[in-house]
Amino acid sequence: MLKIDNLHVAVGGHEILKGLTLEVPAGEVHAIMGPNGSGKSTLSYAVAGRENYDATEGAVTLNGEGVLGLDPNERAARGLFLSFQHPMEIPGVATMNFIRTALNAQRKARGEAEVSAADFLKLIRAKAKIVGLSDEKLKRPFNVGFSGGEKKRMEMLQMAIFEPRFAIMDETDSGLDIDALKMVGEVVNSLRAPSRGFLVITHYQRLLDYIKPDRVHVLAGGRIVKSGGPELAKVLEESGYEQFIEAA
Amino acid sequence: MAAARALSAFEEALAKRAGGLAPSRAQAFDGFIRNGFPNRRTEGWRWSDFRAALGDAAASPAPIHQAAAPLADDLAGLMPIEIRIVNGRIDMRAEKLPDGLRCGVIDAGGGVLELSDHPVATLNAAMTKKSVGIEVAKDTVLAPPIVIRHINDGAGFSFAQTMMRLGERARATVIETFEGAGAAFHSHVFLLALKEGAHFDRAIFSETGPDAIIHSLFASRIEAGATFAMTALSSGARLCRHETLAQVAGAGARVDIATAALLGGDRHNDFTSAIGFHAEGAEARQRHKGVAKEKARNVFQGKFRVLRGAQKTDARMNADALLLSDTSESNAKPELEIYADDVQCAHGSTSGALDERALFYMRQRGLSESAARAMLIEAFVGSTFDAVSHPGIEQAFRHRVAAWLEGV
Repeated sequence: MLKIDNLHVAVGGHEILKGLTLEVPAGEVHAIMGPNGSGKSTLSYAVAGRENYDATEGAVTLNGEGVLGLDPNERAARGLFLSFQHPMEIPGVATMNFIRTALNAQRKARGEAEVSAADFLKLIRAKAKIVGLSDEKLKRPFNVGFSGGEKKRMEMLQMAIFEPRFAIMDETDSGLDIDALKMVGEVVNSLRAPSRGFLVITHYQRLLDYIKPDRVHVLAGGRIVKSGGPELAKVLEESGYEQFIEAA
Repeated sequence: MAAARALSAFEEALAKRAGGLAPSRAQAFDGFIRNGFPNRRTEGWRWSDFRAALGDAAASPAPIHQAAAPLADDLAGLMPIEIRIVNGRIDMRAEKLPDGLRCGVIDAGGGVLELSDHPVATLNAAMTKKSVGIEVAKDTVLAPPIVIRHINDGAGFSFAQTMMRLGERARATVIETFEGAGAAFHSHVFLLALKEGAHFDRAIFSETGPDAIIHSLFASRIEAGATFAMTALSSGARLCRHETLAQVAGAGARVDIATAALLGGDRHNDFTSAIGFHAEGAEARQRHKGVAKEKARNVFQGKFRVLRGAQKTDARMNADALLLSDTSESNAKPELEIYADDVQCAHGSTSGALDERALFYMRQRGLSESAARAMLIEAFVGSTFDAVSHPGIEQAFRHRVAAWLEGV
C-alpha cells in the first residue's frame, strides 16, 4: 500500500526528514507518535505534495506507483487523503459546492461518472449526521466561524465522502472532546477495509483507544526510531519520548 | 506617433469649433482648455493619466478574440428597454414604453450640475449636442430595466450624455454596458436627479476591448429618503475610469456602491467616487474588490465628505485587492473628510496574493491548481453581487465573472 523509503525532506533549506522508512500494508492502521518538531507534519505535507516540502532523496509509492512527481490533486485522485492538523477557513467558498466539485474532480480524473447534485446532497447529509455537523454548518462558507472541533468534524466529513484509499490523519485528535474522539473512531472504523490504509499521527495515546492501530512507530529527529505493536503507545504515554530522542 | 498627431489634430479641431458653441458649451470648452486632458499631475488623476494614454492610443483597434459567451446574450434575457450609443451616436428605437416612463433624445444640458472644474466633463459638455433623456414619473415602479449600451468599434473620439430624472417614490434600474473592440476615446456623462423616496439601481458591465479609452462620469443628487444602489464589474481597458459623484441632499438617504475589477494583460481600471453628505442620517456602504494579473493595474479612489449638517451619518468603505502576479499593481486611496461631530465613518483597504495554504488545501481535495485559483478568486469578488436586487442582473454578473475566470 503506502511505502516510504529513505525519505529526506528539506523545508527552507533545513533538512527535517532524514531518511524516513515506513510501510503501511493495505488493510492496516499505523500510528506515528513523536515529540514536537520531530517531523510529523512535514511527513504528511511531503506525502500530500505541499509546495516547498521537497523530497531531496528517497521514494514514496502508493500501491506501487511513485507519488513524489505528482501534483497534489493527482495524488488526491489516486486516493490519498490528508486530514489537516489546522484546517483553514476559506471565506466566500460555499462548503457543499467545494466538496462536490472536489469529489467530481477526483472521480473525473479516475474516469468515473460524476455525482449529480441531488445524489451528492443525499450523500453529504447522511455523512454529516455521522460526524455531527448540522445543515446550517454545511450552508456556511467553508469552515467560517467553526470551532476547532467543528473543523475536525469537517475533515472527517470529507474523509467519509471521498472514501480515500489511503488517509493520513495529522493530529486529528488535538482539540477534540471525548464525544468527538469517539466520532473520529467511528468514522475510521467504518472505513476500515482490506484495500484501505491509515496513518494516524498523534501526540497522545487516547485516540488509539478508539482506533486500534496495527503498528505504532516513534518518529524522532526525522527518522522512525522505534516500531512496535499497540502496546508501544502505552509505553510512550508512561515514560515519554526522551529515551527515543536520545536514540535519534 | 500617428496617434499623438491625431490627438493634436483633435485639439486643433476643437479650437476651431469653440467660436460656434452655444454659451454654456463655450464656457465648458473654456473650462476644458484651461485644464486640458487630465494627467498624472492633475489632482485625483495621478494613477489614470488620460493625456499619456491618448498619446499612445492605437490608430486602429487590434482585432479581439470574441468571448465565447457574449455579454449581450446575458442581458437579452432581462427583456430590457434598450438604448444604444454606437460610436457616440444615439440609436433609440421608438417602441411602446411602459406607463410613467418617457425616453427620448433631448438637447444636451451642459451645466446641470457643478462639474465646471471637471477636466473631462467640461470637454463632454462642449462636444455633446444631444443627450438621452429619461424621465420616470413619481410613484412609478418600472419593472423592466433600461439598458444603455455604449458600443465603440472604431477609433477617434466620441461623447455621449444621459440625463435622467426619477420622480418622488419612483423606482427604476439602469444597466450601462461598455462594449466593442474599438480604440476610441469614449466619454459618457450621466446626470441623475433622484427625488424624495425614489429608488435607483445602477449596474455597469464594462467589457471593452483592450485598446479602448473610457471615461464614464455619473453625477447624482439624492434627496430625502432616496436610495442609490450601484454595482459594477469592469475588465478595464487601455485606460478605463468609472467615476461616481453623489450629493446626499436630503435626510435619511441610502447609498450602496459595490464595484469589482477583473483585470489581465496591460489593462487598467479606475473606480473613483466622491460622496458628499449634506443632510442628516444617511447610511452609506461602499466596497471594492480588484483582481489584477499579468501587468494589469487596479485603481480605487473613494471619498466620503461629511459636512457639518450631516449628523448621524453612518458610512463605511472598504477596498481590497488581489494581485495574481508580481507585475500587477494596485493603488487605493480611501478618504474620509468629516466636519460633523456625531457620525460613524470608517474605511479600510487591503492588498495581497492568493492564500497559498488555502490553494494547497483545495488541491489536496482534488481540485486542479487552475480550478482552485478560480474558486478562490470567485470567492474574493463574489460578495460584490450579493446585494443586487434584480436576480437576473445578479446572475448576469456572476456569469460574466465565470467567463473571465475561464482564462485564469
